Amino acid sequence: MSRPTTFGPRPWIQQHWDARAAANFMLGGSGAGLLAAAPLAGGAPLLQALGLALIALGLGAVWLEIGRKLRAAHVFFNPWTSWMSREALAAVLTFVLGLLSVFSSERSLTVAAALSALLFLWCQARILHASKGIPAWRAPQVVPLVMLTGLAEGAGIALLFGDVAALVGLFGLALLARAFAWSRYRTALRLPCAAALEPSGRALMQLGTVLPVALLLFSTLAPEALWLAGLLAAVTGWRLKFALVTRASHNQGFSLPHLPIR
Amino acid sequence: MKVKTYCYQCVAGPDLLEVEVENGVATQVTPNFDAATIHPGGGKVCVKAYGLVQKLYNPNRVRTPMKRTNPRKGRDEDPLFVPISWDEALDTIARKLIEIRGKGLLDASGYPRVAASFGGGGTPQSYMGTFPAFLGAWGPIDMGFGSGQGVKCTHSEHLYGEFWHRAFTVSPDTPLCEYVISCGANTEASGGVVGVWRHADARIRGMKRVQVEPHLSITGACSAEWVPIKPKTDPAFLYALIHVMLHEEPRQRLDVDFLLNHTSSPYLVGPNGFYLRDLSTKKPLLAEAIEKTCHVKAVEIGPDEEVLAEGELQGVTAFTKLLEHMKPYTPEWAEKICDVPAATIRRIAREYLDHAHIGETIVIDGKTLPFRPVAVALGKTVNNGWGGFECCWARTMLAALAGALEVPGGTLGTTVRLNKPLSERHASVKPGADGFMAYPLNPTDKEHWKPEPNIRNAYRTLVPLAANGPWSQALGPTHFSWMFLGETPPGLPRVTYPELWFVYRTNPAISFWDTTQVAERMAQFPFVVALAYTRDETNHFADILLPDQMDLESLQLIYVGGSKYIEQFWKHEGYALRQPVVRPATEARDFTDIATELAARTGLLERYNASINRGAAGVPLKGLDWSFVLEEDRRYTRDQIWDAVCRAASAELTDGEETHGLDWWKQNGLRVKPFPQSDWYLFPTLAAQGLRFELPYQEQLLRVGRQLERRLHEHGMQWWDKQLAEYQALPAWKEFPRLWEEELARAGGKAGDFPFWLLTSRSMQYAWGGNVGMQIIREVASNVAGHGGVIINAQKAAELGIAEGDSVEIATPRRQVRARAVLRQGIRPDTLLLIAQFDHWATPFAKDFGVPSLNRLVPMSMDLTDATGSGADVVRVSIKKTQK
Amino acid sequence: MVADLRRCVGCQTCTAACKHANATPPGVQWRRVLDMEVGEFPSVKRVFVPVGCMHCEDPPCMHVCPSTATRKRADGIVTIDYDLCIGCAYCAVACPYQARYKTDVAQFAYGAPMPNEEIGNDEKRLGVATKCTFCADRIDSGLAKGLKPGKDPDATPACVNSCIAQALHFGDADDPGSNISELLAENQFFRMHEELGTKPGFYYLWDRK
Repeated sequence: MSRPTTFGPRPWIQQHWDARAAANFMLGGSGAGLLAAAPLAGGAPLLQALGLALIALGLGAVWLEIGRKLRAAHVFFNPWTSWMSREALAAVLTFVLGLLSVFSSERSLTVAAALSALLFLWCQARILHASKGIPAWRAPQVVPLVMLTGLAEGAGIALLFGDVAALVGLFGLALLARAFAWSRYRTALRLPCAAALEPSGRALMQLGTVLPVALLLFSTLAPEALWLAGLLAAVTGWRLKFALVTRASHNQGFSLPHLPIR
Repeated sequence: MKVKTYCYQCVAGPDLLEVEVENGVATQVTPNFDAATIHPGGGKVCVKAYGLVQKLYNPNRVRTPMKRTNPRKGRDEDPLFVPISWDEALDTIARKLIEIRGKGLLDASGYPRVAASFGGGGTPQSYMGTFPAFLGAWGPIDMGFGSGQGVKCTHSEHLYGEFWHRAFTVSPDTPLCEYVISCGANTEASGGVVGVWRHADARIRGMKRVQVEPHLSITGACSAEWVPIKPKTDPAFLYALIHVMLHEEPRQRLDVDFLLNHTSSPYLVGPNGFYLRDLSTKKPLLAEAIEKTCHVKAVEIGPDEEVLAEGELQGVTAFTKLLEHMKPYTPEWAEKICDVPAATIRRIAREYLDHAHIGETIVIDGKTLPFRPVAVALGKTVNNGWGGFECCWARTMLAALAGALEVPGGTLGTTVRLNKPLSERHASVKPGADGFMAYPLNPTDKEHWKPEPNIRNAYRTLVPLAANGPWSQALGPTHFSWMFLGETPPGLPRVTYPELWFVYRTNPAISFWDTTQVAERMAQFPFVVALAYTRDETNHFADILLPDQMDLESLQLIYVGGSKYIEQFWKHEGYALRQPVVRPATEARDFTDIATELAARTGLLERYNASINRGAAGVPLKGLDWSFVLEEDRRYTRDQIWDAVCRAASAELTDGEETHGLDWWKQNGLRVKPFPQSDWYLFPTLAAQGLRFELPYQEQLLRVGRQLERRLHEHGMQWWDKQLAEYQALPAWKEFPRLWEEELARAGGKAGDFPFWLLTSRSMQYAWGGNVGMQIIREVASNVAGHGGVIINAQKAAELGIAEGDSVEIATPRRQVRARAVLRQGIRPDTLLLIAQFDHWATPFAKDFGVPSLNRLVPMSMDLTDATGSGADVVRVSIKKTQK
Repeated sequence: MVADLRRCVGCQTCTAACKHANATPPGVQWRRVLDMEVGEFPSVKRVFVPVGCMHCEDPPCMHVCPSTATRKRADGIVTIDYDLCIGCAYCAVACPYQARYKTDVAQFAYGAPMPNEEIGNDEKRLGVATKCTFCADRIDSGLAKGLKPGKDPDATPACVNSCIAQALHFGDADDPGSNISELLAENQFFRMHEELGTKPGFYYLWDRK
């Protein structure tokens, strides 16, 4: 017999969103990053197609998590206040523009798809920020972190397909910005749950920032180093987001500003 | 559709409730708001009653009669129960009973051949229909095989409480009280709806409660202050309070008038410790003041009427004796023993007197009564086993010092169970020989004391205070019935196994102390008939299982109201009906029908019906000018019997004006008449009869103890000497905690190796354990800390490397159990706590809890048995983290 | 709703009554009472705190809900439309009070459903978010009969009806003459996690004024 559920009062990890929800942030973020990086990579349709595929996979994972799968279309009903509705709409827009761009190779469409992907990424970050029940998510610093890691992951994956200088530049900038965003987020968080992020945070800084930057410098000698740098950036980003959604997602429990006088 | 009924699964009931029924299915329990102005808890219903719907539909129920097919009995033996018909089951039992009757009701040792055990502090009687009439028709039955009595009740209080103030249970007069010192009384968990309701109101009104206990209980949580006292040292704390009041506070802070006129304070005590008596009348002599030493012409009479001294004798008042007696018990002395700062003790003593309102009065029901809104309450473990007597005495003494005994606002008794009549406390107040209330002590004089007990636990032989009423068998040393099966001490007839044992709503195989031993004895019982709801640890040893209809299926009328049990003070009294809310879902039968069948099949029908006519179903069927008596030779159905009972109850409540039958009661559920609040207080009844409370000095106890000592020694019985020392006119502090260390030594352990006091505490959700198989109870109880394991102080756990949820082993020198650690701040570092009593190994659902019980660890021991025949629910243990 | 922390004894009668009234499956407790400790031995206090949906004036669960299943009624009760909800559980992570549940597969106390569970089992509640409704149906039917919520049991949430300590109270905080307004006027109170700005409709009394 399983033990009965225990409820608080101390914070505990939310049980509602698991790896399936995390997958949306991991894959969707990278996918959006890829689409955003595509214009700098010469608008490679392959990259865009991969980006769309990743977003689709992420959304598919979430679809597996929802309780009423046949009602998935209801997700569009509340664009006025829900970032989930907005994310869904942004995804539709990104798919429309992205697919058009893949098949037309029109530069303006590529840029439009990239902007739409950024919009998607923003919505995704705001989804976490709007989750008032989870202190590690509701921190405003989560928004740049989630966006920048998506960008860094996307640019990193793009490097596997070509080393256009602008792309390398974007990648380098995104890496540094992501590291900065993480350190700001980490400073702001100061919560017990932050401990759950420490291993992946450390990996993000060491394996996901310092090492890739070093590899970037080394890549003039061995171009393959870029691939490794890109992969490291992506994998460490995923790991951080996985931990953020499933490990550091403590609620805040309950607390009493006053004790009853008896 | 809503059906009115009641829940009486624990002594804090009954709760009046309604059950919502949809399409013949019970769906929910709700309060009976029609009773909101009658029931002192607003007609609300305790959490346990919300388990009744699951209890009804529980798939684990025993659904048909069953018989055992494996003749070998033991914990590890599968009984191999197989379903049988009701006819086969009843015939098998009847054959056995007829065979026993043929041999004689008593066996060669003089003990009844038939025994019966019912648990739950008398609550099964509210479910067993007319079975008491069958028992009455049968004749002598041994009801002294305990299932928790003595360790799970407030045993010393039952006996001494009734002795001093007709208080089988004791409560503050919560609606008026201002200050309560509660030594471990866990009212918020054990006082039921009424206790919770009244105390919540009192808190908002401003009543302050100081909770003195080793762990922060539910009640401690709801109190103004928690004093974390060392286990089993409460007498020292209470004695120091008395010391402060007697020796550090001005005398006028006490209720001197009360002491002088309503207690034994002015009684003159002679040089041998007995009252000085008038030479001719032999009445005790009184001084005109409470503090006095004088020389008077008197006689001092010893235990067996022998003259100890006669002539011009020096007499000292009982109060002066008290002053001398309490002198050494300073707060500083107590601090060393109970780990409570002396300053705290002084403050509490003074706060108590500050709130005593000495000299004030209050008008209740038009009567002017003393108003003393201070009280002392005692919890279970404080109140039983060694030290219980001292605590009860000190508690009653503290009330007497402030004149706060049995008056508005003060310490009140709620009910009587040893004195008669059981239904009326005030009617039990009758004058005794020396100016105190008469008490039905079992005789200890040479002529009347009996070395041959009537039942196996020998309560009449050993425990004078247990009296000899219907409840007395269960209030003796009920563990002796089990212990003496192994070895009967010299002087008593060899204790035998009963040839047939009825068990109903009780589970001694897990609920008593040293449950391993109890289960081993049980396995030797030749023929056990268990009324069975589900399989459980006790009916594991049964020969026949009879499924009786459960709470929501069966029918019975019970008395409600008046003043009864802990906080249950009503302003009404009357009757309430339990009735089937749905059609029975199994082959279970109503207990009344089972009783009738047994009576008919054993040829006892006429005596059975006669017993019902006399009132065995709760109401005599014949009154002043009404009669609903049953024809004695007829076999009645359940509804026919209870229709007659209902009519008699209606007539009784209305002096014959109404004669409503069962149909009316099914509709209305409840009928009451007023019960005056002034009847909550016993003081006016004593005062009217010129009777006093025998406090502070109890010559009567001293005399009885000496007599008993002589009787036992005359018969070569030396094994009760330790207990005989408890009979003191003024109880002295003994090193109580050391008794448990000595017990460790006897078991081959060293005190230092078992440094923790393991305690238990009531769970409101689980009290009595009859609902242990309910998923909903398990679920909601899990919200209350400690239901999943052993509570340990968090800092202490850290020292021992124990983390929350770790598996730990709790051990005595003889036994060990496993538990998960629950880390809390609200417990002393030297104390561990296992809530309630789990440790089930046969009960479906509950057997998978993995939560142990203190019961397996507490040794069943003569040395830990006090003079009332009770033991405390504590044991010294070690704890260590285990590897998975 | 008002919970008087001085009165509450953590008995879980409200928890059980809620489970009865709303036929919630095992493990789902729309109303429950926390057993909290504050401080360290020996200076420790133990407090019992009823929690559940706080029916916030500014409910984060409603704002995040993508399907508009979560709404707020004019009387302040926050509701879930089981027909709209997609069961994304976004509301559950947005709620700072852990008040929301999602059960994907029907659960019963002992495996197979008992007769009362068959009646209480509602397929609509599977795979969607559920939470305390303040027994809105009961309030509505009570109001329709001219009863007053918080005073008449038939128009009052089951937890309040069941409370054996009179710790839970229900009524209209906007009506200055209501029981709730009186309690709030006479006592000091707080709301849970007030700093989050959700403006809960659930008040905790802790001392007289």
